[in-house]
Amino acid sequence: MSQATEDVVASITRLRLKFPGEQELLFHNMSLSVRKGEKLLLLGPSGCGKSTLLQVLSGLIPRTIEVPMKCDAAVIPSVSGIVFQDPDTQFCMSYADEELAFVLENNQVPREQMRSRIRELLIQVGLSTDDIHMPIGSMSQGMKQRLAIASVLAMEPEVLFLDEPTALLDEEGTTQVWDTIRNISVDQTLVIVEHKINEIVHDVDRIVVLSAQGEIIADGRAEEVFHGQRQALSEYGVWYPGVWNESSSPRWSESVTQQNGTGNGTGIGLLELEHFSGLRGLSSVIYVEHAQVKPGDWIGVVGENGAGKSSLLLSMMRLLRTQGRYSVRGIEAGSTEQLAERIGFAFQNPELQFVAHTVRKELEYSLPKSLFTVEHCRERVDRMLVQFGLERLDERHPYQLSLGQKRRLSIATAMIREPEVLLLDEPTFGQDARNTFVMLDMLEQLRAAGTAIVMVTHDPEIVHRYCTDIWRIQKGELQYEPVLSPS
Amino acid sequence: MNTAVRASKGLKLTDILVTIVIAVVFGLVYKIWGPAYDLMKPFGLHAEQLMYGMWFMAGTFAYLIIRKPGVAILAEVAAATVSAFLGSEWGMSTLYYGLLQGLGAELFFAAFLYRNANLWVASLAAAGAAVASLILDFSYGYIDQLSTWNYVLYIGFRMIGSIVIAGVFAFYLARALEVTGVTRSLRPATEQDYKGLD
Amino acid sequence: MNLSFPHHKTWLHRVNPGLKLVMFSILFVVVIVIHDPNVMFNVACAMLLLLVWSGHPWKRLLLYGSPFILVFISTSTGMMMFGKGVTTWWTWGLIHITQESFYRGIHLGFRALSMAAVGLLFGLTTRPVDLFYSLMQQWRLSPKYAYSFLAAMRLMPMMVEEFQALRQAHRIRGLHQHVSKWNMYATLRRYAIPLLAQSIRRAQRIAIAMEAKGFTNETKRTYYYAIGYSAVDIVFIFYFVIMLTLAWGLGICFPYVGVWDVR
Ligand SMILES: Nc1ncnc2c1ncn2[C@@H]1O[C@H](COP(=O)(O)OP(=O)(O)OP(=O)(O)O)[C@@H](O)[C@H]1O
Ligand SMILES: Nc1ncnc2c1ncn2[C@@H]1O[C@H](COP(=O)(O)OP(=O)(O)OP(=O)(O)O)[C@@H](O)[C@H]1O
Ligand SMILES: [Mg+2]
Ligand SMILES: [Mg+2]
Repeated sequence: MSQATEDVVASITRLRLKFPGEQELLFHNMSLSVRKGEKLLLLGPSGCGKSTLLQVLSGLIPRTIEVPMKCDAAVIPSVSGIVFQDPDTQFCMSYADEELAFVLENNQVPREQMRSRIRELLIQVGLSTDDIHMPIGSMSQGMKQRLAIASVLAMEPEVLFLDEPTALLDEEGTTQVWDTIRNISVDQTLVIVEHKINEIVHDVDRIVVLSAQGEIIADGRAEEVFHGQRQALSEYGVWYPGVWNESSSPRWSESVTQQNGTGNGTGIGLLELEHFSGLRGLSSVIYVEHAQVKPGDWIGVVGENGAGKSSLLLSMMRLLRTQGRYSVRGIEAGSTEQLAERIGFAFQNPELQFVAHTVRKELEYSLPKSLFTVEHCRERVDRMLVQFGLERLDERHPYQLSLGQKRRLSIATAMIREPEVLLLDEPTFGQDARNTFVMLDMLEQLRAAGTAIVMVTHDPEIVHRYCTDIWRIQKGELQYEPVLSPS
Repeated sequence: MNTAVRASKGLKLTDILVTIVIAVVFGLVYKIWGPAYDLMKPFGLHAEQLMYGMWFMAGTFAYLIIRKPGVAILAEVAAATVSAFLGSEWGMSTLYYGLLQGLGAELFFAAFLYRNANLWVASLAAAGAAVASLILDFSYGYIDQLSTWNYVLYIGFRMIGSIVIAGVFAFYLARALEVTGVTRSLRPATEQDYKGLD
Repeated sequence: MNLSFPHHKTWLHRVNPGLKLVMFSILFVVVIVIHDPNVMFNVACAMLLLLVWSGHPWKRLLLYGSPFILVFISTSTGMMMFGKGVTTWWTWGLIHITQESFYRGIHLGFRALSMAAVGLLFGLTTRPVDLFYSLMQQWRLSPKYAYSFLAAMRLMPMMVEEFQALRQAHRIRGLHQHVSKWNMYATLRRYAIPLLAQSIRRAQRIAIAMEAKGFTNETKRTYYYAIGYSAVDIVFIFYFVIMLTLAWGLGICFPYVGVWDVR
């Protein structure tokens, strides 16, 4: 706190913070300051406290959210704008113009100026202004996030905080959002939390890395951090450019794919779909001409937001009404309950599938008592907890996990039974590098042992490195894209 | 710098929004409960009165979650407003019933100075809401003009139903919700939590 | 909600929403002091007549209005069969229909009907946004309540969707193996807890987002929609005054039945 204190716009000194009722401190004497005009990227493993730190720096904690905290000194921006992870929970009004007007009203902008100001803001984030009275419910996720940015810009914030604004978006939406941010950020102070760093790493001028214990382990320019601290980054499981080549262990054995025909004798696919469609209401949201899933397949389901990827998975679980032929090992597929005995399923929104009070019980729930002894069950759960980095959280309620932790738990509940087929809806989004690779490795092991995996993903790296097949969904129709087999 | 916990004047935005959202959930439940209630009614033996307590649940439940003055009234009024917007078959009268029932429950919470949120207080508040609704029923529904046995049955069933649903059931539901930890961030942090920081 | 259906706008849509709410609420008090079934019937007719200007097609009105019949029957029959009275018409076991209880039952039915009619009308002709803007501007409702209502209404369709997702999840996780479907409490809890927890957290997040967008209750604010009064409001008030006077006068002068007070 010596030189240039005047151009510090946000800072915190010796921050101590813990959630009510928790034993351990999330932050212990951590200090960070942000200068005017700086573009700072905050990295760290999942659950280390990045979202919490943003809320402290922006003044939401403790002004709005009461979390016990103390610090020696703090500079809180007079006006800070914050964009959150989830596009659906940051609006209070139902229409785009009303939402922006809400912010303008807060700033006492005269009514006569509002319409033109709303138009300006929409143009700034690249949204169409043909009809400013646009229902938010009908916007795509990417559009919603851009609207969120517009509503934050309406405040003319001193510092703009972005908490994984693209976590739920497809490639196109991600690009649009980052383009928007680049356009508006010329003189803007930015603090960004993001796992998917490829798009932005060249546009930031400072990177701060947090460890799992909430300490700063690296702070500096991008090149310095990524070169000097590579070891530490990889250890803590933080994404950095080139991490894929260094850390992932992609599929090497083709053994299973080849033994298909022989191993099962018949050559019948594990799952077979023909003229198959899934319906919401009366209209078909997904149509499959013909598709097959064989043991040892790893199918990547890709496509834009709203293309019908989740609908395909739900239909394959018979959770939507379906038409056409669908068979499992040559026999007509039965009801959802019957399918669930063979297929492990993880929803796009993990929270809705939790049924137990603790993380441990949640996992035990997936193991039928009839099939496993108590010790066996316990051992398996313990192993799973360690593999997914949840071992210290085993007594916590599933709702009290960070986003990434919840998702890992939901994947774990699907995998723990080692079913014949796994249907996973975006299992890796919001994950740090360490957990992504652990998960991919475990999936690869299962696959090599004969499990078939059908996985929705927005990540091209995963598709190229792991998948044996690609199903591309376009406007509700499946297009089959064979992957060049890496021979 | 210590955390500036402002002496909060009235309810905070979070409290209000959470209360109203709880009320909306119940408003949706009422949409299903209403027709069921009406179907029970024509038999005349007032079996439907055992179900009446559901209409007080928004108030007691919201209080058990937030535990602040005014929450019970707000929740009841909000639930009534929502069901009115959804086209309630009782129309505008729901607003008055909501207001009075909320008030009935609120009085009991206030009597315990908003310090208690146990099963007894919840049951008393449920009974309070029931009494308030009965007061309105006297003038709007002429219940005193029923034959005596019927009238006693009516009041008795309503009281029992209210205590069971809006008191006991609401209490256990709130406790089950407590386990999930979502309510923790609604309560002010304790001294002890702050001590743990040093 | 209902407004998402196509309909045309009538003068009732242009009445100041706050005023509309207040007038309809006053009607409740008026209805309570009416004890003459002849007047009550006329009032119910006057209110049902307003539905003509709801701007919605007949079929939809009938669909929404269908529960009214149930309410009418359920409120009137209880009183008819078990109410006090001396002029017995019919008895059968516990059921005891008298002239007094019969008219009292009918009277209650029309009471319920008139409240239901204005309730439906209010829902059909008022945009929630307009109502809360009006309440803030003319009736000094604190903005934190108004915007909380609006935000909560936005969550309604999400809750319905969530409920469906939850049902799906339960089927997949094999809940039927763990809990008997006859265990009502357990089943109810399985749904209620996640839905409530999810909604509460959503509400918290939205409240945080709102405050992050500079919302405070203290400062003065400007309004995007200026809601004021207009000539339609006078028409509306006149409709009420004239219709109620007419209902009362006609009810007294040209009664349908010879009962003046149902108490
Ligand atoms: N309300 C809460 N009560 C108790 N613990 C919490 C609460 N919210 C978060 N935590 C815990 O605090 C830690 C930090 O959470 P936070 O959401 O800040 O993590 P994060 O770094 O943003 O993670 P992710 O990358 O997964 O989003 C996590 O371990 C989480 O389990
Ligand atoms: N609950 C629902 N009710 C009605 N329609 C829905 C529902 N959920 C999705 N849809 C519609 O079905 C279509 C396919 O949606 P789906 O969720 O399968 O897309 P997706 O490819 O998984 O998108 P994302 O990448 O955003 O997850 C979309 O047009 C969407 O609007
Ligand atoms: Mg986070
Ligand atoms: Mg999806």
